Amino acid sequence: MRLWLELKHGLARLLRRTRDERELQDEVQHYLEQSIAERVRNGASEEDARRAVRHANGNALYMREEVRSFGWEQRVETLTSDIRYAWRRLRQTPAFTIVAVLSLALGIGANTAIFSLINATLLKPLPVERPEELAYVRSSSSSFSYPDLDELRRLNTAFSGLAAFGGITGSLRVGDETSLVVGAIVTGNFFSVLGVNAAAGRVINTDDDRTPGAHPVAVISHRLWQSRFVGSAQAVGRDVRFNGQSFTVIGVLPPGFHGAVQGQVRDIYVPMMMQAVARPPRGQYSGDMDANLLNRRANRWLTAIGRLRAGNTPEQALAQLTVISQQQERLQPANGQRISTAAVIMVKDGLGDRTQLVTVSRLLLFVVGAVLLIACVNVANLTIAQSGARRKEVAVRLALGATRHRLIRQLLTESIMLSALGATTGWVLSWSAIRAMRAAPTPEGALPITLDFSMDARVLLYTAVLAVATGILFGLMPALTSSRPQLVPALKDQGTGKSDSRAGLGGRSTLVVAQLALSVVLLVTAGLFLRSFARTQSLQAGYDTERVAFSPLRINLLRYTRAQGRTFYRQAVERIEAIPGVESASLARWAPLEGGNSIRSLLVQGIEGPPEVFSREVSDPTVLAANAVNVNTVGTRWFATMGIPIAQGRDFTVQDDSGSTAVAIVNEAFVEKHLVNAPAIGQRVSLDGPKGPWREVVGVVRNFKVTSLTEVPQPLLFLPLLQSHETGMTIFVRSRSGSTAAIENQVRSEIQSLEHNLPLSSVNAMSALVSTSLYTARAGARLLLAFALMALLLAAIGLYGVVAYTVSRRTREIGLRMALGAQPNAMMFGVVRQAATLAGVGILTGLVVALGTTRMLDAFLFGVESYDGATFATIPFLLLAVAIAASVVPARRAMRIDPIRALRAE
Amino acid sequence: MDEPSTDVIQGTLDMLILKTLSLEPMHGFGVARRIEQITRDVFKVNGGSLLVAFKRMEREGLLESEWRETENSRRAKFYNLTRAGRKRLEQERADWSRRAGAITRLLATEA
Repeated sequence: MRLWLELKHGLARLLRRTRDERELQDEVQHYLEQSIAERVRNGASEEDARRAVRHANGNALYMREEVRSFGWEQRVETLTSDIRYAWRRLRQTPAFTIVAVLSLALGIGANTAIFSLINATLLKPLPVERPEELAYVRSSSSSFSYPDLDELRRLNTAFSGLAAFGGITGSLRVGDETSLVVGAIVTGNFFSVLGVNAAAGRVINTDDDRTPGAHPVAVISHRLWQSRFVGSAQAVGRDVRFNGQSFTVIGVLPPGFHGAVQGQVRDIYVPMMMQAVARPPRGQYSGDMDANLLNRRANRWLTAIGRLRAGNTPEQALAQLTVISQQQERLQPANGQRISTAAVIMVKDGLGDRTQLVTVSRLLLFVVGAVLLIACVNVANLTIAQSGARRKEVAVRLALGATRHRLIRQLLTESIMLSALGATTGWVLSWSAIRAMRAAPTPEGALPITLDFSMDARVLLYTAVLAVATGILFGLMPALTSSRPQLVPALKDQGTGKSDSRAGLGGRSTLVVAQLALSVVLLVTAGLFLRSFARTQSLQAGYDTERVAFSPLRINLLRYTRAQGRTFYRQAVERIEAIPGVESASLARWAPLEGGNSIRSLLVQGIEGPPEVFSREVSDPTVLAANAVNVNTVGTRWFATMGIPIAQGRDFTVQDDSGSTAVAIVNEAFVEKHLVNAPAIGQRVSLDGPKGPWREVVGVVRNFKVTSLTEVPQPLLFLPLLQSHETGMTIFVRSRSGSTAAIENQVRSEIQSLEHNLPLSSVNAMSALVSTSLYTARAGARLLLAFALMALLLAAIGLYGVVAYTVSRRTREIGLRMALGAQPNAMMFGVVRQAATLAGVGILTGLVVALGTTRMLDAFLFGVESYDGATFATIPFLLLAVAIAASVVPARRAMRIDPIRALRAE
Repeated sequence: MDEPSTDVIQGTLDMLILKTLSLEPMHGFGVARRIEQITRDVFKVNGGSLLVAFKRMEREGLLESEWRETENSRRAKFYNLTRAGRKRLEQERADWSRRAGAITRLLATEA
């Protein structure tokens, strides 16, 4: 009730100011007149009565002020008048305003951009219904098989719905174009568990997931709709070919929905029952086998996501799922193939290893935080410089009775308005930068996650809070110091002598030193990353990256049989070698630096070893068991095609086929590790245990990079394709000329004419893979350099400001000296020397801090120590040069001071 | 010796205003004069404080106001007690009795 009355009266006051003001005037007037009349009635004279009443109550103005200042609306009024005043002031000093706003725009904009990145990848919840209720379910080997998950789905009560999904990569043919898409295969309840509806058409439901092979429908993402279907309204209902089979598009998803895992973008969704076509078994010819994985417990490839029922915790769910697995094992034993649940992870906690992402985010936040800090210091310095000019105004207001509190509030309003303008400009800058980044997306596979920026309400709030905090940060100190001037000298427009200016200068100098120190830290960091990148870039891959083009031939998506596969590969190589301009062509299962590897068990004849046999595909082979080796299957003359030198023995030839001796080729690292006792050529190894087949080593090749450019050479073993036929081969083409540009199109059209359902996104030179593997290092180094240069620019502006201030403060002194005969040059050098000293202190401080903190960067650097001498030695000189350059302009102004005018000025 | 203070005891201005207005609706000056009269000049209110108190109590819902003509045909803002105001008056009166009584008792005890 009271609140309502407060609100009502306050609003009435605000909206009907004039009427309310007049009423107040009347009321006060009436009171005073009546008081005076009363006294007169009691015998006093008019004069005395008036005086007595004024003595008792104050005059009318004072009384009105007393009454008026009560109430919340008054604060609103003062705020609006503060804002209007601040706006006027800022417009009166355009130079100051523009420099300040730009500095803040850089600082706040950088923070907004980085935060929107963190928002999209780490913070934003999935765009689904009530994401806090969702949880992932993982097995002890991380994935589940379909039969296992189906059991859990049917028998659990902890979840109101449990859905399964798996990743698929398939060929999508829309109209005449075939390309690769990354998507997901999902159970019928997937979209209803998540609570996602289609933006057009409909999503997959349980009716689309009943009979294997009977539901060729697909749902596409918004961005796929825009890119491949050009946002056409006829997309829904259209027929496309996925992995060679006809599918109907039944719906388009809303923008922003990318799948069930944050950071992984899925562009197409098909029902689980279509698995045989959409997600054929990998590594083997799916055309030769029953491609149905839906009844095979041994194939684990699915993750589950479920919505917890109210009151159920993830721990309870985990317990229940474990019990269900145990019970089912008793009822229907599955020879140890049934796998149990290992973890129920809330979706908001994220799937997979996010520690690296978090570390990178922290680093980026630190860097942009430093940039913002430097910008703040700049604006604080500028504000202090400004306050010198306003001393008189402040003194007048204080003399008229303004409280210090009121003054500070008004000055802070100015600061916050400044930072609000900076934040708005920064937001626009950030938005444009992000648009530019979106137009030039990162190459496929360059980053472990899909880079996304999301400038939503959360980012807006962050920016707003940052703006206010920034305003207070750089505005508070100047406001506090400038609201306490010495009144009399200020009113008389006099300088207050040395003490005042020295204190101000001391404060500003400290700030500039801090700015320079921070710049040093950032520059050193950027320098280290740049050197690391340069080192990485100069590494040799070990094969011809410019002359060799590659293209994955994903025939396994099209359910080829082994016989069809052999024929296809043979024909592909023949037809491509027939292209003029092509020197040779060959095949390999894994392309170097692309990120796939086979690991198989290894036995060397004559050396004891564990008899276990295994074979699996991994993406990160760095941690290998002692008896495991990285295996690649390659065609004839692959090494020659790639330009990999043969150190001993020979390359594979057509004679190495299924009729002849089983052979293998190894690299030098393999020889060093496994074949030390005797000459390599002629030794025998087995990948299938003691029973063999034993393969004879016929060649040793030089080491080359397989996983990353910075890797330590690892043992590699190669099998000939004709003796170990596999699917999923990539073709490599060696050009006669120095580059692949001339042959790329022809290669593509030859392959496409051989099989037009094959997705061929591009035929690229191997250097593209190298470039992709360097992407993170390059982008990171460039980004850091950009921020460090921003910081340097801001610090230089800060230094310029302080030097200019010093010169203006010492105008009299300099004028006097020059009148007494000092050389103008000497004056200038004096100023520059002072600036250099300041810079020197800042640089030294920065170096010390940098030495202490760059240790944390060790994990990111390659070939460069975190205390790298070259970097630490050159940065100080660079900074000193910039500092001197920044101080030269105001210093030259010192030279040109007219002594007479200087002495006359006060 | 200095003149005795005519300031209102801190915290009692509301009570004095409420009591005065409980007799009849009045404008600002009227309330001031009535308080001076009835307390025989022991308490003299300051105009500014009085008007601020009116504003505050109106916002608290204890008073309501309207512009009327006085007997001199002048326009003035008259204040009146609301029901909440009357209740508050009773509360304040009871509270004052309790406290004043306690002080009186304390002062009356022999040394």
